Amino acid sequence: MTRSRSPALLIAILLAPALVGLVVFRLYPIELAISDSFHNVLRGQQLFVGLDNYLALLTDSAFWNSLQVTLWFNLLINPIQIALALGLALLYVQQFKGVTFYRVLFLIPIGVSLPTAVIIWRIMLSQDGLVNGVIGMAGVPAQPWLTAESLALYSIIAIATWKGISYWMIFIIGGLQNISPEIYDAARIDGVKPWQRLVFITIPLLRPTLLFVLVADVSINFLLFAPIFMLTQGGPADSTNVLMYEAYKSGFVFGDMGRAMAIVVVVVAILLVIVGLQFKLLSGPKEAR
Amino acid sequence: MTDTARKLRNGVGLGARHLVYAAIAFVFVLPLWWAIVSSLRPNGEVFADIFPFTAKALLPTPFTLEAYAGVFERGFGMIIANTMLVALVTMVAGLVVNGAAGFAFAMFDFKGKRIILSLIIISFMLPFEAIALPLYTVTQQLGWLDNIAALIVPSVANGLAVFLFYQFFSQVPKDYAEAARLDGVSWINILLRIYVPLSMPTCISAALLLFIFQWEAFLWPLLAMPSQQFKVIQVGMAAFQQQYQTIWNQLFAVSVITALIPIALLLPLQRYYVQGLAGAGIKG
Amino acid sequence: MKTTKIAIIAGLVASMLAGTALAQDKTLNMIVIEGGDTTAMQAVADAYTAANPGVTINLQPYPFAQFFQVAELRLRSADAGIDLVYVDAPLLASYASRGFLSPIDASIDTSTLVPSALDAGKYDGTQFALPINNSAQVLYYNKALFEAAGITPPDGLTAGATATQAEVDDLAATKRWTWEQVADAAQKLTVKDGGRTTTYGFTVEQFGELYQLQPFGESLGTDVVAPDGYTASGYLDSEAWTKAATYWSDLYNAWGVSPKSLGYGEAAQLFGNGQLAMLAGGTWNLPGLIASGVDFGVAPYPYFEGGKVLTPTGSWYVGVNAASANQAEAFDFASFLTTSAEGTKVWFDSLQQLPTYQPLLEEISTAASYDAFPNDVFRLGVYDSLNTAKARPVTAAYGQLQDAFRTAFVDIANGVAVSDALASAVQKFEAAAARVAP
Repeated sequence: MTRSRSPALLIAILLAPALVGLVVFRLYPIELAISDSFHNVLRGQQLFVGLDNYLALLTDSAFWNSLQVTLWFNLLINPIQIALALGLALLYVQQFKGVTFYRVLFLIPIGVSLPTAVIIWRIMLSQDGLVNGVIGMAGVPAQPWLTAESLALYSIIAIATWKGISYWMIFIIGGLQNISPEIYDAARIDGVKPWQRLVFITIPLLRPTLLFVLVADVSINFLLFAPIFMLTQGGPADSTNVLMYEAYKSGFVFGDMGRAMAIVVVVVAILLVIVGLQFKLLSGPKEAR
Repeated sequence: MTDTARKLRNGVGLGARHLVYAAIAFVFVLPLWWAIVSSLRPNGEVFADIFPFTAKALLPTPFTLEAYAGVFERGFGMIIANTMLVALVTMVAGLVVNGAAGFAFAMFDFKGKRIILSLIIISFMLPFEAIALPLYTVTQQLGWLDNIAALIVPSVANGLAVFLFYQFFSQVPKDYAEAARLDGVSWINILLRIYVPLSMPTCISAALLLFIFQWEAFLWPLLAMPSQQFKVIQVGMAAFQQQYQTIWNQLFAVSVITALIPIALLLPLQRYYVQGLAGAGIKG
Repeated sequence: MKTTKIAIIAGLVASMLAGTALAQDKTLNMIVIEGGDTTAMQAVADAYTAANPGVTINLQPYPFAQFFQVAELRLRSADAGIDLVYVDAPLLASYASRGFLSPIDASIDTSTLVPSALDAGKYDGTQFALPINNSAQVLYYNKALFEAAGITPPDGLTAGATATQAEVDDLAATKRWTWEQVADAAQKLTVKDGGRTTTYGFTVEQFGELYQLQPFGESLGTDVVAPDGYTASGYLDSEAWTKAATYWSDLYNAWGVSPKSLGYGEAAQLFGNGQLAMLAGGTWNLPGLIASGVDFGVAPYPYFEGGKVLTPTGSWYVGVNAASANQAEAFDFASFLTTSAEGTKVWFDSLQQLPTYQPLLEEISTAASYDAFPNDVFRLGVYDSLNTAKARPVTAAYGQLQDAFRTAFVDIANGVAVSDALASAVQKFEAAAARVAP
């Protein structure tokens, strides 16, 4: 190795495998998928219909209702998951006798796959199920967790949160580990209170990690529909009918790929705007440690 | 404050702490516990104490190991080995490929960097269902259907993992690299000697991301392996929910086994993981 | 060194075998549902290849829950890697209208098949798929729970008794319970303990599904959609369907005799545990229920008082992928599977589903081996499939109909007002169907 090797070649070598993979297996399929949104299939013929599929969405009440559900769902689930994951990470890194035992238990949902988690929670949340049994002991009447318009979306948020926060916790622990201990030592000597340490030291220094978790979590939740597909199929009364489920139904159940792809493109466009805003607001100047 | 008073206070504090942790852990454990219990019952008894729920539902009575025996008779050992192979190869290759890309984006300025980086971040924001059909066509054209390469190669380059590494490497002060360069150290050595050791916690996060992605992969393995000779866990698990019946106890037995494997892999790492935090002073 | 040598030899042998295979053999790939269907199909394939050594049948099994999605993706990509397609009856129009299936070869003799089953494989007057088997629904009842509640159970077939086809015909024609009788008994059979239900009176196997509930409204006189297949107003929101949906609502809300939101297989599990007195479900539950040890009888599928007797029907079909390069061979196997004495027998013996091949139905009606329980239940299926079976609508918008229907009936069970749910289902179905209507 000599210093004379040009960085341009090095950059190319470092980037090439990832770029080739992403172009062949992601960007090229994405391009094909987008072109589907400009087509409709009629009697086995692929017809170019321009923006028709998008224009049809403007007057499509199912689409607008679904958009509303999607936005409300994400407005709730993302802050909840990130706050709880951060809290859990802070609990995880504490040191005291017996903490290892709890740490193991905190990791459990990572291993339980989503379909399994959904099956178990559905049975636990049923009318005569375990959760109603437990709250019944406290004298609370049984609740229709997944079958009432007013509760179903929140039950799904709870299940997805149960499944998700241990995973995000791991990333936050990784971020915590990059914070130099000296900063805390100095703060302690200066008599800074624990909550002040959290707000003024930990969170600002975690910003790059939190930005990553936020962007990744929002992207995943914006596209999340598997639990809805398995638990409520968009009901009751469309209260859990998120856009991705609407798109899935259109494409795979109704054989209407044009509409499905138009919805997906709209969802991703909204997601890009949100993620762009997050970058603007949170990335800020780079921190030096 | 006397010694005994402090001890008492610490004791109470420790007790309260255990109470809080136990309450949280209970919520995490309960569903898996129920799955474990159900996997130890005969298939016909899985729902016996559930509708309506009684405390007996949390005990494996009557007790039997038939579900576990049945699961391995169906060749689930092989399916687990298959999945481990796919997940571990993807993980190792993915760490190298995405780590290298993240390093390049963080360390160097070059033309089109922002655009390429944006495209990479966008690439993971498209739902898999939307690109499944084109991806299938691409794989078909490459002649990779029914080839294990079809499961691994498309998942190695991962926009999310590149982003994670990029975020980490941008945080590391540039002085390290500049000082080393002045001493005549090559870029490759700077990467391997300075940046890789520093990035261990990030590597663990990225490894987990890549591993879990393959561990939970379902629709793609179904499509990419039409002959179904090579099965992975989620595909194998779906076979327990059949058209006319569900083999509940075996389904839960598999769920338990598959849940414990990632946790078992994380445990040795977590010791290393929290070590660096020992003196971190964020002990509330 | 040694291992390399072995590897080279093994490689040579393998390539020679592959070479000879290519020279003579045709391989047919078939997508099929994982589980019992695959076992049965393998048995038929083995019987076929024994007589046709030049052909290899390669089954590609997919789990039930993902089958439709995978089939849709692969058929749409014009995947020549599929020769034979396992087709669910109601999806036929959707596949055929998009050119996924080849019209059935005219040389195949279909005169031995039950006409109504054959018709459900037609789209626009052209036969696109052949029926593999049929389905039949019955009413299972728990004898001990009826006895404990002091109620006379419906007339039916039970363990220890025998029944000729004539006796079964009489049972089905004259002693069939009405849904009103079911509701009556269910209310007496339901046991509540401190606000929680410990024994449910009645439930259907497939919660809210069109397959199971179509006879509810149609037996009262109005089809679920118009004959064009794309109009639901005046049908799904008609007086007949409102009455049927109100009954459905009462089961869950007013009477509280049925458990809400059961997943696939859970209703049969409840019945097997003795926590459910009556179950309207498919004959495919018989082996599982017998294994559970519960003491039960089998009565005909009920109907509404004053209405016409109609029962669910239809099952799986086989079609040939239009993109397949092996059309003739694929049709030959499809014909063996559905229209040959041997193929249909092997399938029936393995899967125990009601046949559509008439000589086999004859055998069920007349052979002494079907006199005793539970085999005599097939005779009930024979009666229903010839007299009361009502196929699902043939429309390219079937997926849309099924989804709107399920949503409405699940919502109704969960307490949404019947008229609101049906109106919303009509609106949703028509909006979605208009996009695929020709």
